[in-house]
Amino acid sequence: MPIDSILDRLIGFFTSLRLTVVCLLLGMVLVFLGTMAQEPMGLYLAQEKFFQSFFVPAAPMWAAIKKALQMVHIFLTPSSATDVLFGSNFPVFPGGYLVGGVLLINLLASHYKRLSFTRAKAGIWMVHFGVILLLAGQFLTDRLARETNLHLKEGEAKNYSESEREAELAVIDTTDPGSDAVVAIPQRTLESQKEIRRADLPFRVRVKDFYRNSTVEERVAGSVAPPAATQDIGTRATVLEQPRVTEMDRRDVPSAVIELLTSQGSLGTWLVSEFIEQPQSFTLNGRNYELELRLRRYYNPFSIQLLEFKHDVYPGTDIPKNFSSRVRLTRSDTGENREVLIYMNSPLRYGGQTFYQSGFDPDNHGTILQVVHNPSWLTPYFSCVLVGLGLVVQFSKHLLGFAFKRPAKKGEAARTAALAAR
Amino acid sequence: MAGCGRDDTQAYRVGKETAQAPTQMMGQPGTMASDPSSPADAMPQLKWKLPAGWQEVPAGQMRVASFRFAGKDGKLADVSVIPLPGLAGSDLDNVNRWRGQVGLDQVSEDQLPKLAQAIEVAGQKAQIYDQAGQGPGASDKTRILAALTRRDGVAWFFKMTGDDALVAEQKPAFVEFLKSVSFSPATAPPQLPPSHPPIDGGTAQNGLMHLPPSHPAIGGAEMIPPTGAGAAPVGPAKPQWQVPADWKEASAGQFLVAKYMIGDSAQTAINVSRSVGDGGGVAPNVNRWRSQLGLTPLGDAELAQQCKPIEVQGGKGTLVDITGTDAASKGKTRLIGVIVTQSGETWFYKLMGDEQIVGQQSDAFAKFVKSAKY
Repeated sequence: MPIDSILDRLIGFFTSLRLTVVCLLLGMVLVFLGTMAQEPMGLYLAQEKFFQSFFVPAAPMWAAIKKALQMVHIFLTPSSATDVLFGSNFPVFPGGYLVGGVLLINLLASHYKRLSFTRAKAGIWMVHFGVILLLAGQFLTDRLARETNLHLKEGEAKNYSESEREAELAVIDTTDPGSDAVVAIPQRTLESQKEIRRADLPFRVRVKDFYRNSTVEERVAGSVAPPAATQDIGTRATVLEQPRVTEMDRRDVPSAVIELLTSQGSLGTWLVSEFIEQPQSFTLNGRNYELELRLRRYYNPFSIQLLEFKHDVYPGTDIPKNFSSRVRLTRSDTGENREVLIYMNSPLRYGGQTFYQSGFDPDNHGTILQVVHNPSWLTPYFSCVLVGLGLVVQFSKHLLGFAFKRPAKKGEAARTAALAAR
Repeated sequence: MAGCGRDDTQAYRVGKETAQAPTQMMGQPGTMASDPSSPADAMPQLKWKLPAGWQEVPAGQMRVASFRFAGKDGKLADVSVIPLPGLAGSDLDNVNRWRGQVGLDQVSEDQLPKLAQAIEVAGQKAQIYDQAGQGPGASDKTRILAALTRRDGVAWFFKMTGDDALVAEQKPAFVEFLKSVSFSPATAPPQLPPSHPPIDGGTAQNGLMHLPPSHPAIGGAEMIPPTGAGAAPVGPAKPQWQVPADWKEASAGQFLVAKYMIGDSAQTAINVSRSVGDGGGVAPNVNRWRSQLGLTPLGDAELAQQCKPIEVQGGKGTLVDITGTDAASKGKTRLIGVIVTQSGETWFYKLMGDEQIVGQQSDAFAKFVKSAKY
């Protein structure tokens, strides 16, 4: 088959309206099943398997179908998160990236091929670009957006927020009196790489074991189980792997056994875990280091201090009326120093981040702000405005055209009536 | 685009964190604050009537109260009171964890009520769970009696652990103790001055959310870790001992009862730690020490030749003296270790460091170990 013919077919495929309809239908099915899957799998795993993937594997799809069948009173043993994680990975359905990506190509290609820009088609152009922007914006949000938490007690100030679910191994050189040098290795790197080499560390970090969910306990008396590690706490603790949790209100607590290696050999193994709240320290070549597995931190060039948290209720009831955090924002490089009141539906937008009132401490003396960093947060707004305007333009054009033609039609109708009356 | 820097290791400099977390060691990630206003600071004060024969021991670490009861045959029962802010897992999670510790099978939600016995803690209804079995690797049968009560967003764990028969015998006393407990109002959490520089918050203390359903920003504020509540690390209690004048006490760190440095040498130190039971036994611990000096593990017969008895208060301990190469300093390093098992507890004394200094300090070290009254 000549290349031109293949190219024509390919262009024909990608520009067909049928493909648009198929993609939209697949998208609807995907959204429905992805929503069903959230009950047995939890939100985050369902998002990952259905929407942040090119193909949906068999195990999560089966979990979603079983849940959907319950709507028609067919009850099969529901899948657990473990079934999904360790079940078949065979791809059975297009995932969010594939459907969205093909739809985006389809829109762009058909636009390029079919639509030439004329004033008459300006509205359609705007609607199409609005949809393209929406798709591209969602993809960018998926890749670039970050949600973290900032937990503050009254009086406390922080210049960083913490990930809700992801950990990091912080290797901190605390030798210098003025500041600490931190090398932060994200959880994903610890999970995927067996050995981490860094020019700024005098040792290599070998990940001997990584537990995505675990418990750490003091070694039971008389235990024959070996200690978790050869250094520090690890010599007196055991670590147990736990099944992954998927509920929204719980999370995995990771642990790892790491070995530090120099060119002269091993320095020993350490157990690092979110269960161990104080850093473990050691000295090498006259420098002091600390090891800590902690929630991943994102530092800001400014700091936020909680001045007061308020939990107002309706008089005479326990029904919440308002939650608010009065904070002080300070930034040394710009000299900013101002108070801000963050309350429900009135977040602080600063430095490319949005700080929402999200939670609070049981004693009402601490606040939890959700910090959302989303460089493409404006794209849905632009998209909606563009689509809305496009529709207005397109329909206005038709309406106006109709309205201006109407008097002529009136005259025609009168003539017809006169003829009929003769 | 893939990753967009999300998986990159980052290097940066940050100002010193001026406030350190207090001695809160193995906690509840997601439910425990590691900032200076630790849960214990904001907790109600606890009062109780001490049952006959119970001995109060320093609480340490996560515990707000700690007790010990010794049986006639020297066996021990340990009682801990641990408050954890938040819900600290469901009853089912906790019960199954305790059951796992004594080698029992997990139970389902339906079976749980059958295991619960209604009792009273500080005038409030609560459940007590009683489970006995042989834990993984344990030589004797162990019993765990645990009661859980929730007050003002804090889960209070009262737990008695020890020899099966001894704990069973002490159950009525434990129930009486629970009845006698009373809570007095909380002390205010310490507040930092407004000008205080940024400090480390560590893992998030997650308050319970009571925002209306329509509220847009719901994060991971209700995270409760899966298990581990009431993991009950043992709080170190220091015995009475005579410390040589030239030893300098240093921060003991986690799991150590005491740490002493010798002179200005950062390399030579004495570590003292304690474990309930036999601490894993002499052989594995000596081999662990050997591995720290790059020496190969020895079999029982060879170990018996290496270990020497040493007279200590109330009995005998095991002394081991080894020399090898420290993995960290690469220098010739000597380690003198003494393991003392008394009253169901094992004490580990370790003098380790520069070969010459350890040699000079060996007599003082032996004297120090012998001076300890348990």
